[in-house]
Amino acid sequence: MANATQTPTILIELDQETRNRQLDRAKSWLDNVLLTQASHRKLLEDTVEKIEEPHIKQYLAEMALQAEQHEEKARELFSLIDREPSDIRQMLGQVMGKARQALGDFIAVAGGAKGPWQDLHQVYLSNYNSMGAFAVAEQLGLALGIPRMVDITFGVVAEKSTSQLLLQEAVLEMCSMSILYKESF
Amino acid sequence: MALKGGYHMQIAKYNLASGELKILIDQLPSGGWHEPGGPIFGPDGMMYFGNGSVSQQGVTLPAGFTVDLAKHPNAHDVPGQDVTLTGNNVRSRDPRLPYPYMIETGAFKPFGTPAEKGEVVKGELFCNSAVWRSRPDGTDVELLAWGVRNPFGMAMNEAGELYVSDNDFEEKGERAVANDPDRIWHIQNASLPFGSVKTPAWYGFPDICGDGLPVNHESHLPSRGKAAELLLENPPEWAGPAVFLEQPHSCMCKMDFSRSDAFGHKGELFVAEWGTLAPLNSPRPEDLDHGFRVIRVNVEKGTAEPFMHNRKMGPASTYGTGGIERPVSCKFSPDGKALYVLDFGVATVTSGNMLAFAHTGVLWKVTRKEENNG
Repeated sequence: MANATQTPTILIELDQETRNRQLDRAKSWLDNVLLTQASHRKLLEDTVEKIEEPHIKQYLAEMALQAEQHEEKARELFSLIDREPSDIRQMLGQVMGKARQALGDFIAVAGGAKGPWQDLHQVYLSNYNSMGAFAVAEQLGLALGIPRMVDITFGVVAEKSTSQLLLQEAVLEMCSMSILYKESF
Repeated sequence: MALKGGYHMQIAKYNLASGELKILIDQLPSGGWHEPGGPIFGPDGMMYFGNGSVSQQGVTLPAGFTVDLAKHPNAHDVPGQDVTLTGNNVRSRDPRLPYPYMIETGAFKPFGTPAEKGEVVKGELFCNSAVWRSRPDGTDVELLAWGVRNPFGMAMNEAGELYVSDNDFEEKGERAVANDPDRIWHIQNASLPFGSVKTPAWYGFPDICGDGLPVNHESHLPSRGKAAELLLENPPEWAGPAVFLEQPHSCMCKMDFSRSDAFGHKGELFVAEWGTLAPLNSPRPEDLDHGFRVIRVNVEKGTAEPFMHNRKMGPASTYGTGGIERPVSCKFSPDGKALYVLDFGVATVTSGNMLAFAHTGVLWKVTRKEENNG
């Protein structure tokens, strides 16, 4: 008993210094979440403008509203760990959204698709990218023991996963038609 | 014409000369599995049309619904009369989520929304699994029937009697039903004067099979998938029996009555049978060659004879020969002397998926030999 009371308590990954270091590392990843989401939201908003097919235009318009909410939720994640997002990273995300559009245009010219469907293909990829970023944040919430972070990210990943099915359907259906018939639809 | 896309099925009028497309009716709830029927026009000058069910098996489920679920997550069946639910919900995975996640869905509800026992769902004029008629401009819509799972084929005989084809439940997934025969219904309300139908007739969907037995009857228990439970606590009176029952999964599609002695078989109903999706929708070996032909049905006697088929039953591509693949529609020429049969073409099926190939369909013209074709 005497020996036990003399042994100092050892905190493994629970001391403030370690905790702060891990939260700083998590913050860096949350900047990635915000960057990929801002990039996706910007690309999506620009693509909605270009689509003419009424059903897909409506689906994407609703998805764009959801993307704004997801971006807000990405910002909320920072407050859970008492950190601030990097505005430069978010701005970079919007620039990346534009760059993806340019990449889409280049791929379309090389691949023979006409119209905005190459942009839709890039939206499909960028949603997948940002969904992955949120999913990693969900794992961080579990690893750091922050339930609110899991609640937020699970909801976003679920909605993005649903959107991914829809985007895949639209891409598969319309890109092949765009390539074969050279019409914008 | 009938248009399917988005949450609504539409009845539209297309002017061939001007190219103008006018939407006549835009409230028919859709966005799911089955197809519109018609429109066709009766000798009374009225327009008759149908709308298949959103769900494949009576509840919106992922087994046959993943594509539609992605596009229309809020789509669901709508009854044609007030119904009280048993609260028997169906538990399934949720394919919208990134990892296995179980969810419960009730009848006449969007995917993932459970029903309560005793809950009343209000019947609507614009429902699905239904048949209507209206004036040719789409006004004064009258609900004739509901509970018809897939009224894809519609035809009227010379007396103005309306018949619709209907396809069976599938033996797979979370609400599986075995040995449900394909059928042809006589829509008797169509013989009543326009505007006089107060109560639509109910033909059984989502709880009664084509033979009049409930989906949970022992003869319909599945050997694959989870057995179905009843969804309606107070089902309306059943409007059957069917005028003709066909082998399960024959997939009866568009059809037309012969009106010509020159062609023959006058008064008989010619029905295109697209053919089975077994082994995808049924594990039974006997279902593998059902359909893939045109039959002629005597609707008075309830009998049928094969009219057009390959020597060996089944799609020609299976045997590497020429011939019929999957007849999807048949229609007599205006003079009644020729039957046109539209062959969908090649669709390959495995126990896990189905793939359809463009540029493989053909249009057949069938006439009687000239010496008999006055």
